[in-house]
Amino acid sequence: MIYVLYFIVLLICIYTARHYWFTLNRLFGFQRHPYIDIDTAEWPPVTVLVAAHNEEKVIANILSALMTVRYPEDKMLVIPVNDRSSDHTREIVDQFVTKFPGRICPFHRASGKAGKAAALKDAMELVETEIILIFDADYIPGAGLIRQLVAPFFDPEVGGVMGRVVPLNVGTNLLTRLLDLERSGGYQVDQQARMNLRLVPQHGGTVAGVRRSALREIGGWNENTLTEDTDLTYRLLLHGWKTAYQNRSECYEEVPETWAVRIKQIMRWAKGHNQALANYGWRLLVGKHRATLRERIDGTLLLGVYAMAPLTLLGWMLALVVFYQGIAPLHGVIALLSLTAYAALGNMAAFFEIAAAVRLDGTRTRICLLPFLIAGFAVSIFSVSRAAVSQIRDYATGAEFHWDKTERFRKASS
Amino acid sequence: MNPYLAVAALIGVVSVMLMLPIIPAMVELQRKSDATPLHVVPQNAGEIRHFADGFRTYLRALQPTLQQCMASGTAATGTMPDGAAYFVVGGANETPWFLLRQNSVCPFVIAAGGDLTVPDETTFANDVYSGGSFVGGEKNYYRALLGEKNVQLGPCSRVMRWAHAVGDFHASAGCQLYGRVSSDSVLRLDRNCSFLRLNAPRIVTGRAENGNFAPPDSNFSAEAFPIAPQRFLYDGDFVIGAGEVIRGNLVVRGKLRIAAGAKVCGSVKSGKDMVLETGVCVEGSLISGRKMRVGSACSVRGPVIAEREMFIAAGTQCGSLQNPTTASSPRIVVEEGVTVFGTLWARESGQVVGKG
Repeated sequence: MIYVLYFIVLLICIYTARHYWFTLNRLFGFQRHPYIDIDTAEWPPVTVLVAAHNEEKVIANILSALMTVRYPEDKMLVIPVNDRSSDHTREIVDQFVTKFPGRICPFHRASGKAGKAAALKDAMELVETEIILIFDADYIPGAGLIRQLVAPFFDPEVGGVMGRVVPLNVGTNLLTRLLDLERSGGYQVDQQARMNLRLVPQHGGTVAGVRRSALREIGGWNENTLTEDTDLTYRLLLHGWKTAYQNRSECYEEVPETWAVRIKQIMRWAKGHNQALANYGWRLLVGKHRATLRERIDGTLLLGVYAMAPLTLLGWMLALVVFYQGIAPLHGVIALLSLTAYAALGNMAAFFEIAAAVRLDGTRTRICLLPFLIAGFAVSIFSVSRAAVSQIRDYATGAEFHWDKTERFRKASS
Repeated sequence: MNPYLAVAALIGVVSVMLMLPIIPAMVELQRKSDATPLHVVPQNAGEIRHFADGFRTYLRALQPTLQQCMASGTAATGTMPDGAAYFVVGGANETPWFLLRQNSVCPFVIAAGGDLTVPDETTFANDVYSGGSFVGGEKNYYRALLGEKNVQLGPCSRVMRWAHAVGDFHASAGCQLYGRVSSDSVLRLDRNCSFLRLNAPRIVTGRAENGNFAPPDSNFSAEAFPIAPQRFLYDGDFVIGAGEVIRGNLVVRGKLRIAAGAKVCGSVKSGKDMVLETGVCVEGSLISGRKMRVGSACSVRGPVIAEREMFIAAGTQCGSLQNPTTASSPRIVVEEGVTVFGTLWARESGQVVGKG
């Protein structure tokens, strides 16, 4: 039992060090934005896939935005992937097709496997370009975003591209404000630091792009996963392709406004991530492939982030047991580490990261909300642990995974 | 002390200390003083002429005065709606520069409906507009400059924010160009000019008689940009031999040397330093994870990116009129006689140097 606790403490210490490393790199290290200055080029043809499942509230916004971006019209085709929608998504899409002939080619999917990856996989039959960009329907791309996301593909090593997601409905309630802080830390510090340090920036599946030849090489979209983005990141990595993160390619998104929706969302992410950990973790760490040593280590740690929640809970329980048994492990050294690791949620490293991100974003007063993040972390740790338990149960009983769409809160555009 | 009171006091003090960080959080949650989305400019496409277009819009209020002064050949002064003092030049020869300058500083927004010539050693603390051609004296400082025809900066002048010429833009030797400088035609920088962000259909360095400039027509194949050919991946260092032809994209994780006369029909990436010898032709993009040295008389069709620094030797051509492109690095040194069609962007410093 004590050795399990030692192991968990060690893992938490590693993650703590990683958070600090990333944050200090963002504050003081060399910042890599190699493709952001490409503003003049012979822009290649691009297909923009817009994943839409019952998106009548938001689909018009993204299609309108895409029709006004600064990209050669004859080189950009938008494919709204209307995945078995039962609302008015189809009618809205068809109105746009009529209004912008030749620029939008709809893909109406009436049946088939549930999930974004399955829908994208089916939509690939319409894609003829080498560069594919992917947006969820609740995103609103700015005028220069398409160029910024295409630019990294001039690098022949880049197989995937990820832009930055910025919450739009920040001021709605406490949850949206906390998610705004979390997103800030996740993108402004975590993703950019991984880009700076040539580690493994993660493909987010939206505000993102993929090279068709790379996608073909890795076997296309994996429809048997809950997070096709994580799955894509690791399959690209294992095949020697890089994912580039563009921190200055920002795009607004809508974050969940209720805890129930947030919990569903994070549980889906956790299950998908854990699925990728099971599928690729060992192979990435020790297998024979083109990833560098630092990519192997960071990639494995990134895969393990959602597995840390149940491990932390287990660590708390073990620490209590050890305490009441009167054991003083390693003459108190472990106890000391446990104290810092557990009592301060990873020695406050995650808070430090978010505080640094907020500062880098140039915002100020929202940092005051930092203490409330403890509530957010508490919800996350139990939700993610619940997801892990249910995943193990589903695996044992052979139950098929269920794909939950994130609910939208925006009022439908007229 | 009463032990119950002591315990209660301890609990009270600890509770207050725990609540302390919550107080500003509660206040912010109620007030929502910083609850707007992070500012993302939706229309920002990185348009280099953004400021020039904005300045034209700003000057719309002066159009009647400009036309009047042009017709009468007189000058006019006044204040813009934002309170900035302006001086409208009617005729170039009559401009009373000695009155406009205070200790060599001209504080006015200068606007001329036609050609404009300005004296030496003057600091223009506000923006300058020329409806025709603009000729600047030596050692001038400009905050910002817009010329509707050609713009010529005298030697050792400085542009602090931006400059744009609808016609040719010529920076004489020793000019320092901070911010954005653009032209809708040709942008020429003489020796010892420094720069940051340049954009024009054709950017040339050095004087025409000293350089071996690339022709404005394309040297490249008429096929579309080769973004998706076969990919070759090498984990160590790599050398492409002299005169060799590679068909496909090449990714080298180590250093890369492309020997003289070699041709790559695709894009090239090196994780570490990259060296191109004389006369290399790359039909795609050229990306280096560290330093890049492009030899003389090379031609590259796609974007040229070095993550640390870049040197481009005389006679090299990046892009073409038909296929404009971007050359970008934090630090760029360009010899006289280089042509870039499109954008030349040095994040930290760019310098034009003599050949050899």
